[in-house]
Formats: sequence, structure tokens, C-alpha cells
Amino acid sequence: MSDAASDDGSDINQDDTQEELMTPAELIGKLEEAWLNEKFSPELLENKSEVVECVMEQLTHMEDNLQRVKKGDAKAGIHRMEIDRIRFMLSSYLRSRLQKIEKFFPHVLERQNSRKAGEPSLLSPEEFSFAKEYYANTESYLRVVALRRMPSNLQSVDMLKAVPEPCLDSFVFLRVKERQENILVEPETDDQREYVVDLEEGSQHLMRYRTIAPLVSSGAVQLI
Amino acid sequence: MDPAEVEFLAEKETVKIIPNFSLDKVYLIGGDLGPFNPGLPVDVPVWLALNLKQRQKCRIVPPAWMDVDKLEEMRDLERKEDAFMPVPSPHYMELTKLLLNYASDNIPKADEIRTLVKDIWDTRVAKLRLSADSFITQAEAHAKLDNLTLMEINTIRSFFLDSLNCMYKLRSNMQPSGDSKGHFNDY
Repeated sequence: MSDAASDDGSDINQDDTQEELMTPAELIGKLEEAWLNEKFSPELLENKSEVVECVMEQLTHMEDNLQRVKKGDAKAGIHRMEIDRIRFMLSSYLRSRLQKIEKFFPHVLERQNSRKAGEPSLLSPEEFSFAKEYYANTESYLRVVALRRMPSNLQSVDMLKAVPEPCLDSFVFLRVKERQENILVEPETDDQREYVVDLEEGSQHLMRYRTIAPLVSSGAVQLI
Repeated sequence: MDPAEVEFLAEKETVKIIPNFSLDKVYLIGGDLGPFNPGLPVDVPVWLALNLKQRQKCRIVPPAWMDVDKLEEMRDLERKEDAFMPVPSPHYMELTKLLLNYASDNIPKADEIRTLVKDIWDTRVAKLRLSADSFITQAEAHAKLDNLTLMEINTIRSFFLDSLNCMYKLRSNMQPSGDSKGHFNDY
């Protein structure tokens, strides 16, 4: 992450790969959290490319070691099973992201372009070029198949209006990792009033995504 | 989420096994395991325990909660109370199914345990259905569900969340639209 330089002193330096100062077990834990959050969130979340890269490094490293070991070694089978499990999580995570990019492509591109400098990126470089290509392909497809046969004043499509936005008011299930106070719960019907709830550590809740979205990006809650 | 994916997450729980082979420490990415010595218990993740059991390389020790008397107590408590009781394990359903499928010979009174866990599950899912129903009819905006396991949440997840979102759509269309920018929300 871009703030690796601002050390908060609590990093465990057992296996430093690039700027990540966490144990491999913690890394896999982070991947699992990112995977679940991405799966259950209605919108595309921040890109966790450093986690992805570190996990890929660990996997290739382990696979290289396994190539060199003689066949039939008992440990090789165990390592291979673990590699398969981690690979499944990683692929599922990346697939979730691609699905959302394809579904909300104009909004994703707009969010990415309106990011200020210093804010973490929404898309990885590969995802960004994928989204741009997808946009260009969709645009040219619509033009070739339908638009150019329309009357000349109707030949454009505003993608931002044409493609539905993600619904941030969807309900999600979440588990609280860090205690939060005074989270506003908006009323459903007119005769209810809004109230606040405190989120205790370790408790599970069901509420709208919109209010807790910043907590998901900061890691204070985990979607389940 | 697929039930299979919930099971995937449950397979990370640790369980005690008694291996019949020896192997020195294994340094997995997720942590260290072993060393394995015949006859000495070792803690391993469930996915490994099941694989070793299938290859007849170990015996699985049932977890402490997988005991007929304890489960009977829990079942009676669950039936008595309206609220959700604390669970024996956050993945009790998946672990029961996996361990009883592959290692029922290592678990005493396996059939009784299967029935008891199913009873506990049925009671809890019935309570879940009732509380989901009241959540919707009373148009609540927040619920606390501390003692629910992932598997139970997953059974109603897609239907429940989709219905809630649908109802939100219908309700917000009834109110005078303030500043809808002409963007359509996705279902």
C-alpha cells in the first residue's frame, strides 16, 4: 500500500515481501477478507493489488519448490492441496471484481477517473485497461448494430445513464471487527424515525450497505 | 454464496487427528503443522484431516461438542427459548456433515448425533424464518443476529436480500423523488 512508509510500529516483520510486513498466514487471512467483502458488497471495492501480488508470489514460490522435490513425497501432496485452496480464493476474488466491472463499467470508469491523487486506486492497471476496452467494444457494438441506423439526432448513447448504477441501499450481513458507536440507521417508512446503534465487537448485523460502506473499506467490519 | 463455499470456509477449522505415519513439520503458507508421529494427537485443518482419513492415514478425534449429552442439552435449550442460543461451533452443521460422512467409524453414536444436530438445525431455521418474516412485515432497517452461523444465514441470503431490495425500490418510488439524477439503480 502507498502508506508503507508511514510505519505505525505494529507491523510484524517475519516475512517481508516488498513493502508488506505481515506473516504469510496473515496475508492469506487478508485475502479471505477481501474475497468475502468483494463477494457480498453491491459495489466494486478498492483494489487490493498488493495482497494479490504477494499471494501470487507465495504461490509461485511454493510451486517452484514443489517442482524440485522428488515425486511421491508426502509433504508435496499437502502443499499442493493448500495451493489449490488459496488459488480458488484468489480466482474467485478476481472473478467477482471482473463481474462487477462488466456490470457497472461506465460508473467504475467514472469513479476511477474522478479519484484524487493520493487516494488508493479502485482498479488495478490490468482491470483499468479491461474496463476501457469493454467500454470501447460495447460502444462500437451498439453503434454498428443499431445506432447508425437511427435518425441522426438519436445516434448517441449516454452510458452513464444507460447502464444501471450499483444499488448502495442493498442490505448486507456484516460482522463487526472494531467497535463502532453511533451508526445511523435510516428509517424504512415515513412513520419511523432514524435512530443510532452501537456496533459491538464480534457481533453480527443486518443493515443497509450505504451507512457502513466506509467501515468496510477501513476494515472495521467484515461482510459475511 | 454456494453452500459449497460455506463448507470451504468451514474446512479451515482445526480438528484433532491421530496419525498412523510419521512426518516432520510441514511449513504451509497458512501456518505450521506437525510433526506427525504415530499415535500422538495433532491439530490439523479439517480439509487435511479428511484427506488423510480417506487415505487411511489417521483417525479423527471428534470435537468436544460432538457428544450426545451436550447436544441433547443444546437441542432442548434451543426449543425452549425464542431467541437464538449460542452454537457449539460457528460451523457446527458443516463439520457434522463432513465428519460423519467420512469418519463416522471414529465417532461414537454417530446416528444419534446426526439426528440431534439436524433437530437443532431445524429449530434454528424455523426461528430464522419467523424473524425474517417479522423483519419484513415491520419494515425494520436493522437487525442484530449474533448467534447465527454462516450456513444458516446463507440459506435465506439470496431470497431475503433480494426481497428487501425489491421492497426498498417499491417504497422509494412511492415517495416524491427529490433529486433523482435520472440514474437507474440496479436490482
